Amino acid sequence: MAEAAIALRPPLIAGDKSIAQVTHDVCAPMEARPTALWWVALLISSSFLLLGAAAIAYQISVGVGTWGLNRTVGWAFDITNFVFWIGIGHAGTLISAILFLFRQRWRTSVNRAAEAMTIFAVMCAGIFPVIHTGRPWFAYWMFPYPNTRGSLWINFRSPLVWDFFAISTYFTVSAMFWFIGMLPDLATIRDRATAKWRRKLAGLMSLGWNGSYRAWQRYEVVYLMLAGLGTPLVISVHTIVSWDFATAVLPGWHATIFPPYFVAGAIFSGMAMVLTLMIIARKLMRLEDYITLRHIDRMCKLVITTSGIVGLSYGTEFFTALYSGSSYEQFVFLNRALGPLFWGYWTMVGCNVFIPQLLWFRRVRAYVPAVFLICILVNVGMWFERFIIIVTSLSRDFIPANWFHYAPTRVEVATLLGSFGLFFTLFLLFCRFIPVIAVAEVKGVLKYGKPQLESAHE
Amino acid sequence: MSKKRTKRYWKSLKERDAAPDVLNARADEFPEGGPRQFRRRDFLKATGFTLGVAFATGCSRAPVQRAIPLLSQSEEIVPGRSLFYASTCAGCSAGCGLLAKVRDGRPIKLEGNPQHPVSRGGLCATGQANILGLYDSQRLQHPLKDGKKSSWAEIDHEIQSELANVRRDHGAVRFLSGTITSPTTRAEIREFLAGFPEAHHVVYDPLSNSALLDAHEQTHGVRVLPRFHFDKAEVIVSFDADFLGTWISPVGYTADYRAGRDLDAKRVSYHVQFEPRMSVTGSKADRRLAVAPGEMGLLLTHLAQRVARKVGAPFVSPELEASSVDSVFLEELADRLCRARGRSLILCGTNDLQQQLLSNYLNHILGNYGSTLDIDKPSLQAQGSDKELGELLAELQDGKVKALFVYGANPAFDLPGGDGLAGALRKVPLLVSFAQRVDETAALARYVLPEQHYLESWNDAEPVSGLVSVSQPTIHPLGDARSLVESIATWNGKPKPAYDLVREHWKAEVFPRQKKESNFDAFWDRAVHDGVAEVESLPIKTREFNTQLVRPILKAQRPETGAFALVLYPTVAMLDGRNAYNPWLHELPDPITKVTWDNYASISPTAAQRLGVVDGDVVRLENDGGSPEAFELPVCIQPGQQDQVIAVALGYGSKLSARFAKVGPQWLDAIISVGDKGVVGLNAAPLLRLSDGVLQYDSAQVKVSRTGRQRELASTQTHNTLTVPKKLTPPGSGARSVVQETTLAAYLKDPHAGVEDHEEKEDLWPTDHPYPGPRWGMVIDQNACTGCSSCVIACQVENNIPVVGRDEIRRNREMHWLRIDRYYSEAESGQIEVAYEPLMCQQCENAPCETVCPVLATVHSEDGLNQQVYNRCIGTRYCANNCPYKGRRFNWFNYAHDDQLQNLVLNPDVAVRSRGVMEKCTFCVQRIQEAKIEAKRRGERVSDGAVQTACQQSCPAQAIYFGDLNDPNSQVSKMMANPRRYRVLEELNVRPAVGYLTIVRNCSQEGKEESKEEHHG
Amino acid sequence: MSKRLLIGVFESEDDTLAAIRASRQRGFKVVDVYAPYAVHGVEEAMGLAPSRIPWVVFALGVLGGGLKVWFEFWTTAVDWPVNVGGKPFNSLPAFVPVTFEVMVLFAAVGAVLSFFFVCRLYPAKRAVLPVAGVTDNRFAVVLEETDSTFDPAEVGKMFEKLHAVHVDEQITGEVA
Repeated sequence: MAEAAIALRPPLIAGDKSIAQVTHDVCAPMEARPTALWWVALLISSSFLLLGAAAIAYQISVGVGTWGLNRTVGWAFDITNFVFWIGIGHAGTLISAILFLFRQRWRTSVNRAAEAMTIFAVMCAGIFPVIHTGRPWFAYWMFPYPNTRGSLWINFRSPLVWDFFAISTYFTVSAMFWFIGMLPDLATIRDRATAKWRRKLAGLMSLGWNGSYRAWQRYEVVYLMLAGLGTPLVISVHTIVSWDFATAVLPGWHATIFPPYFVAGAIFSGMAMVLTLMIIARKLMRLEDYITLRHIDRMCKLVITTSGIVGLSYGTEFFTALYSGSSYEQFVFLNRALGPLFWGYWTMVGCNVFIPQLLWFRRVRAYVPAVFLICILVNVGMWFERFIIIVTSLSRDFIPANWFHYAPTRVEVATLLGSFGLFFTLFLLFCRFIPVIAVAEVKGVLKYGKPQLESAHE
Repeated sequence: MSKKRTKRYWKSLKERDAAPDVLNARADEFPEGGPRQFRRRDFLKATGFTLGVAFATGCSRAPVQRAIPLLSQSEEIVPGRSLFYASTCAGCSAGCGLLAKVRDGRPIKLEGNPQHPVSRGGLCATGQANILGLYDSQRLQHPLKDGKKSSWAEIDHEIQSELANVRRDHGAVRFLSGTITSPTTRAEIREFLAGFPEAHHVVYDPLSNSALLDAHEQTHGVRVLPRFHFDKAEVIVSFDADFLGTWISPVGYTADYRAGRDLDAKRVSYHVQFEPRMSVTGSKADRRLAVAPGEMGLLLTHLAQRVARKVGAPFVSPELEASSVDSVFLEELADRLCRARGRSLILCGTNDLQQQLLSNYLNHILGNYGSTLDIDKPSLQAQGSDKELGELLAELQDGKVKALFVYGANPAFDLPGGDGLAGALRKVPLLVSFAQRVDETAALARYVLPEQHYLESWNDAEPVSGLVSVSQPTIHPLGDARSLVESIATWNGKPKPAYDLVREHWKAEVFPRQKKESNFDAFWDRAVHDGVAEVESLPIKTREFNTQLVRPILKAQRPETGAFALVLYPTVAMLDGRNAYNPWLHELPDPITKVTWDNYASISPTAAQRLGVVDGDVVRLENDGGSPEAFELPVCIQPGQQDQVIAVALGYGSKLSARFAKVGPQWLDAIISVGDKGVVGLNAAPLLRLSDGVLQYDSAQVKVSRTGRQRELASTQTHNTLTVPKKLTPPGSGARSVVQETTLAAYLKDPHAGVEDHEEKEDLWPTDHPYPGPRWGMVIDQNACTGCSSCVIACQVENNIPVVGRDEIRRNREMHWLRIDRYYSEAESGQIEVAYEPLMCQQCENAPCETVCPVLATVHSEDGLNQQVYNRCIGTRYCANNCPYKGRRFNWFNYAHDDQLQNLVLNPDVAVRSRGVMEKCTFCVQRIQEAKIEAKRRGERVSDGAVQTACQQSCPAQAIYFGDLNDPNSQVSKMMANPRRYRVLEELNVRPAVGYLTIVRNCSQEGKEESKEEHHG
Repeated sequence: MSKRLLIGVFESEDDTLAAIRASRQRGFKVVDVYAPYAVHGVEEAMGLAPSRIPWVVFALGVLGGGLKVWFEFWTTAVDWPVNVGGKPFNSLPAFVPVTFEVMVLFAAVGAVLSFFFVCRLYPAKRAVLPVAGVTDNRFAVVLEETDSTFDPAEVGKMFEKLHAVHVDEQITGEVA
């Protein structure tokens, strides 16, 4: 029986760890001096961050005119990056909330990092709606506060307002979710810390957690609550983002398929990004025993599933256009595939639909470098998806006299690089100062798939 | 209204004498356009004032009047209310009537004068842009001697003494000017020159029609320019005369032409245009044939021969070479002409005597003289004589001329000869230039006398014999300038203010020419008030038509293989270059090519293919004469152009445009607006030819070669047709129905022809939004619109629209609220047809832009306006993205408003938008509000026609209707009910408040008969 | 008032569960259990009542959603109705997304705050551990010595039978 169990379910955590070992494995790298590799990585990412900051400062001081936009194409890189990052931000909550509800125990080794990624991605995304406005210093007008103008409230019919609420809510909830999950681990750090500052800091953050079971019981309840709330939330957020386009009149934007299409795309890109980061992290922090090939394999399966949905959406769009009989609609999609930006379109299809098909093969899924490469390409593809949707529809809409092309300026490119700089800087700091793996949760699943366990729990 | 204005005017005359100190104060406010430096006392004053105001406002609301610091408050200047003064446009020699809108003592807008018989309420783009010239900080502020500041006293003294010498030793005195329509000025000059033994007045027009006048001298014995009556013509055949665009008097002609194409009266003229390049006129023609310039004469002969045969006139042209034009068509055209004898009109725009003679002959045998051409009341708008010019140039070359006065002309710029001519001019001992700016000629002159802007001085004009119009000052001179008449009067020894000179001349010369008024003062008053007086025209003795000199032109001169015929043409904006200082006009898209801030070598698609060039490729033009420098210009491919023709616009490359080096926002990637020569475009005048006593614009041949370099043209419209690229055309979808048109034949069968029907869609939700009061709407008659673009400038002036410069246009960021989309299409006859569609914010009832704005910065008003709230806008651009018409404009940068003097032109009723906010057409809401307030004061409803939008007011073709859609009797409501009415993108159900009337082309065969039938039957 | 507490320290969750069950069988009062992670089945073993936090969350969610619908209606249709794109003043369907978001926000924030409140968790609170290592790899079962019948020695033996690492007695004030 026991042997059978082993055969059926290899353990979630390899290397037959004891509870104490887990604590040590995760916390030791944080307490040790950072490696040279880490320093190099931080240097690179933070210099990109600075570049981006400079670009944004220049753009805000001179004007949005420093971007390649024009009277026909009013959005391009700015909103593309926004949607891209929001999309990335979806995997975290997916893993921690949805997989939690589905009792997918394997999530425990990745959810901490995934949630961190979510929060950082949402931070990156949050920049763009603000800086893309002509007068960012008035961006707070989006918030309905009593004012001396009437009071003049805001337009609750505008998807941008929906965005504003969705993203702020999403950020708050994800952050709380992350912090709650971290609470016991902070306590662990506090109690084993030798450095005074670390003990002080952890002491401050851990809110006096002492592992009392009365707390543990409520902790479980709250965690479940947040997971339950986070699941519809994560879906609503990208649905609302997709409404930015779906509620418009533009051919190529005005499509009812957008919500599911965008949510799938978000999970798709998010998963790819999680994988990318995990693969980096397990190398960087020597966590191969915790983030095993099995984790990678399962996430690959999620990637290929969502890739299928995305591919289906691409097809559906074309069918709808054809079936609609509207020449504007039909033109927009022909224009995407064959027009001036055809290369962008085919990059998108190639990276999002064709390349992920490789993941059908177990060998590919098991070969980490291949997975890494595919994930990178998927994210390239997903960035182009948003770019194509936004730019092709705008640049050639109803009236041919308005048609005009779009090309980014240096400032825009720098801003995009900057957002990546911010993302990776934050992630590297996270690796240093916060347990990359949810210690408490991993301890909880240590015995899964091991002889003495009755496999009821999984 | 008008009555009131007279009274006002009378009072204001009194005020005028009191005014100077006031206005001086304003003029001094910015001595060089920059702020004066701040002294201690000023500081104290300022502080005191500020404190005072602080207290005043603190205690109670001060009455508005006190806010206006007029030293002597004049009665009729009500703060915030505008006065209109009738005057005459001196932008060109057409002499259109205008109304100057004066606000708090400064003119801020020029509008057409509806009572003026020449222009009939329209005003062209250049005419309206002239207002900017008034506030041009680079205008000459004081007389120059050898390029240095001088005083009038000194200069008058020196010139007079020098003239004395010239008079003593019988030196030749020449007065060189463009056409002067002002009788007073002409008289003054005559008197002045009479004082010299050897002197005369040479008149030339850089855009010359000399041959047209010379031809009449030969055929009718008197050198006149006939007055054309397009409204009376049923068949118009024009040989390269761009009469709707730039030829002689386009505004007046457009009004007449439109009157002759009245669909509701089923009276539609048939217009054939032979031309080498696509002109504004050609774009409106019912039948347009691209013909090489060398073939014009041959075609005229062909037509003359056929018509002569049919009317039995003697006209023999043996061994006549065959023309490229299908003879069946010529035969048919001849028939039409004969059927419309006395109601047809032949025009010839080429400056070639033989061709003009032939066109005169055609008009003669068709009996058009006296009906569609009037030579008893001739037009005086173009009087230039190239023959005299030629003689003068010869004299200059051999240094005969001792004193030369140049006025209203810039020979050093707009004549061929280049440095040679400049040298000759330098040789003149006494070269005096009257100029507003130091142009190429003034730069050579010893004395440069600042000429007043016509809005600063009294003057008059007689554009058409018997139509005398007044131009009156609307502002105190901003600089130490002096009008020509005053200068000459001074030198004539009786210095007087221009006002007296004009008035006296009228008393002596004009007043007697009429019977209506017995009292001169009354006559003068009405003239000043109306801006124009109709008097008897001076008698003209014509003789019997002389056919002797009319010779057939037997063969065409075709350019030798590989070479191109060069056609030099004026553009609507630059004309001969007199407007080169004007940023508005540089930024005004060409009606056809939509290119701004450059001139270019325009060639046909076929030719482009042959040369292997695309738009923006720089080509080198080598004149067969071997032009001094090789001309290198970017290519602009022009459908509908003759394949062996290369066309280049005149008027560019003036040193007056050097100022635009830094126009537009300056940032990291900004590219300056001027070319590598430091000026805008390239001066093509050196390619002109002055031979056989005429200036020839299309006789030169050039070899064209690629340079391999690129210069992207800044065009506001990159895509040209309504049919999308072939490979992207979805199955079964042809051209987009954005523009809807039909043929006359179809229209006469069913006026609704060509209009796409869309059923009224039901609302899902309750209609919360009644429109209790007026509900503003607009209808644009695309059939009347000629694309002349005067509305674009009108809108720019009225609404303080910034100039963004070449680079921004290149990036498709022009700010014009009103744009004119231009589409090409190909008729089955193979000719390229053009459709114009003026497009601005459509003020949709279900506006997509409003729904998406997060901060309620764009909302709908109770009278149906789509309002943009600048100070609430945060600039997400979502509204613009969601606008199917792309009628919205975004302030990408803070556009420059640092020229203090130029800022005086800003309309105080319209906010100047800051960086980062969205803007768009408001239906001139400031005018609507003004009318509503006035109506409210009177306790009435706003009457129809009380609100005229800027674009509507200035439209020479009266193609724009505006008014209250809730009033069933308003003109706009009637137009909305017109069967030709459609809405752009109606299928989207955004319910625009702007309607369009289909284009009806009188092109199909049967169209001809029916149009005639309708007329006679 | 001071208590006498008996603390059994264990190394595995199974032993801990067994200890809890055994103690309660014998009628001892299990004051609390300390664990480095949430061990399943402990609440049953300890017989803890289910938490009432879900009700708080529900209430707050309803409150948030309700408030938001009212606010959107009031601002757009009552306080200052503006004609936006010809839409009715009360565009209820357009209010749904924001309403949902605010509902979730209220519920989530409410859940977390009430959790902190009932567990008395707050920043920089001094953590009181029964024995070191309960946040690392130790499990602690804390019994209260209720009356004289309670024999620490015997109970200690019982714990040792269940592989307790060690057992110790504390006479103290409040423990957690």
